[in-house]
Amino acid sequence: MWIPKQWRAMAGLLSMSVPNEDNMSPHMQLSSHFFGDLLDSIIVDVASECHRVARLGLDRNLEEEEEELRLSAQARVTVANPSNSGETNGKYVVDIFGQTHPCVANEVFDCMNCGRPIVAGRFAPHLEKCMGKGRKARSKATRSSTAAQNRYSRGSPVSASSPYSNSTSTNRLLNGTYSHTVEEYSNGTCEGP
Amino acid sequence: MSCSDHTLLHSQSENGHDIAVDIERSELYCCSCSDQVYDLDFDKVVVAKNIVDMPSKTRDSVVDDLMRRSSKRRRLNSVVDLDLIRSKFFVWMRGRRAKSCYPLGLRGLNNLGSTCFMNSILQALLHAPPFRNYFLSERHDRETCRKRSSDQSCLACDIGVIFSAVYSGDRTPYSPAQFLYSWWQHSANLASYEQQDAHEFFISVLDAIHEREGKERNPNKDNGDCQCIAHRVFSGMLRSDLTCTTCGFTSTTYDPCVDISLNMDTSSFSSVDVANKSVRPNEDTGRSTLLACLDLFTRPERLGSDQKLYCQNCQEKRDTLKQMSIKRLPLVLSLHIKRFEHSSLRRTSRKIDWHLQFPFSLDMTPYLSPSIVRNRFGNRIFGFESDEADISAEFEIFAVVTHSGMLDSGHYVTYLRLQNQWYKCDDAWITEVDERIVRASQCYMIFYVQRMLYYKANEDLSCAPMPSRRDPFVPIAGCC
Repeated sequence: MWIPKQWRAMAGLLSMSVPNEDNMSPHMQLSSHFFGDLLDSIIVDVASECHRVARLGLDRNLEEEEEELRLSAQARVTVANPSNSGETNGKYVVDIFGQTHPCVANEVFDCMNCGRPIVAGRFAPHLEKCMGKGRKARSKATRSSTAAQNRYSRGSPVSASSPYSNSTSTNRLLNGTYSHTVEEYSNGTCEGP
Repeated sequence: MSCSDHTLLHSQSENGHDIAVDIERSELYCCSCSDQVYDLDFDKVVVAKNIVDMPSKTRDSVVDDLMRRSSKRRRLNSVVDLDLIRSKFFVWMRGRRAKSCYPLGLRGLNNLGSTCFMNSILQALLHAPPFRNYFLSERHDRETCRKRSSDQSCLACDIGVIFSAVYSGDRTPYSPAQFLYSWWQHSANLASYEQQDAHEFFISVLDAIHEREGKERNPNKDNGDCQCIAHRVFSGMLRSDLTCTTCGFTSTTYDPCVDISLNMDTSSFSSVDVANKSVRPNEDTGRSTLLACLDLFTRPERLGSDQKLYCQNCQEKRDTLKQMSIKRLPLVLSLHIKRFEHSSLRRTSRKIDWHLQFPFSLDMTPYLSPSIVRNRFGNRIFGFESDEADISAEFEIFAVVTHSGMLDSGHYVTYLRLQNQWYKCDDAWITEVDERIVRASQCYMIFYVQRMLYYKANEDLSCAPMPSRRDPFVPIAGCC
């Protein structure tokens, strides 16, 4: 087989284990020769593929990718360093507009279900009871029509993931439960999400 | 055919015989250039020869796929949305303030009781450029919507209200209570006040918008090309190739998607390591990157022997190779990182809280169908339908939703990039952060927008003084 001169030179450099042919029996010389050919062939396979990718512009922009990796690694080092204050606990700072806020949002507005004035930070748990806790107390008519729509609507947004992954019901990252936090809020400490 | 010595001599002795062929690799070599060279016609012949050797049915499908020069240029979403961008929609009535003021649309969202999952996604939606433009220019007409549906809540209307409030210039934190109420009415199964997942919420909101708008805008029931704002902004198309390992027959299907859920590469772990939590080879060896997840997503996957699929060519069930690729990119690319790991051994799930590196600039070209399919054929040059992508594959990040804490309890925070400054949106608290904080954070959902739209959006976001309570936006075509 023919191999461009440059590549043959490269192959020679790479196959450092080429033994000294002078001391070998004809048998060994022959097998060594075959080995050399096989090795050359493999090296040229790879070189040829890489050459094609590079020449046709199919390679990824490695410089940019490496720069992103470098910035990321640098960032992690900086953030891990305790002397860099970085983020402070979000709940005690002054925001960029110069405002401070209590842990439990204290805006008051009227519930759109029952009309009573409710504190914002407690709105969701109130609403749950007000609308009837989740599935059980909701009126049957509304529930079934919504469910039917969800079940039969084609073209509704599909989240793409491998069909062989586990069921979505367990693939959720959840935020904290409500029940603990209401009681604890009254201490004035900010806990929970 | 000749040996290497003769090849060179031949080209020297015979004029015009400079091209030689490497028979083993089907590559061309030019003796004048002393280099391997490439030719479209030669590659076409090579691929065609490969196809000819396939069984006839395979050949037909491959030929259809590869050789067709489709003149069908789809009227892409990007063209439609360019109109939105060109018809600029805000005009500020007063003069500008000094450059040190903050961009529009930055406003905290009150936590209504464990609703950070909702606030985090809302912040991302509020700053997705084409989505934002649509709602700020009031394309979803609340008046007609209310008349049409009388009693039923409309999530799109409620989102429109949030947009108006957040972009009004009022900086005190806003309570998205009406929105929560409407959402619970829509998603009965999620209407309990417990732990919620941000990604699930995201899908559910887009679904609600689609339901309402889809009916109005798709009178022909053409679900393939839905014109609702949710699909126009977020929907892309995935391609799935199933190849029979026996005969090589490949069947291809296309499915729309509004986001891509990516698995993290946990392959180099042993179960012992997982149990001991001692080793994190992927994180340390640099495999814990977003690009590695995308590589994993588009890697050919050998389906298990218990998942044999029926091959039309062989006429029986065979072992199959599956490969995903992206046929069409959306305007806004939403990537969801599946940070959970199930151990069937111990029947437990745990959260993978490794750091995942993600770039701020992302080039999706290697994951597009042409790149993936071409790679399967040794990177031969051949025609591919809509090869010169109308939609650019280059994206810029604009939002990251992070999760900290355990699998079943934790806290969501969103980082937004506006005019090259990063802001942390932690419910009601908006603060400026250095980009390094963002790079080091634990991403859960990452939102990218096409580069052109990102730059355009940055131009639009000028800061301005607080207007009075009346509607500050005056839709005007032309420059702002």
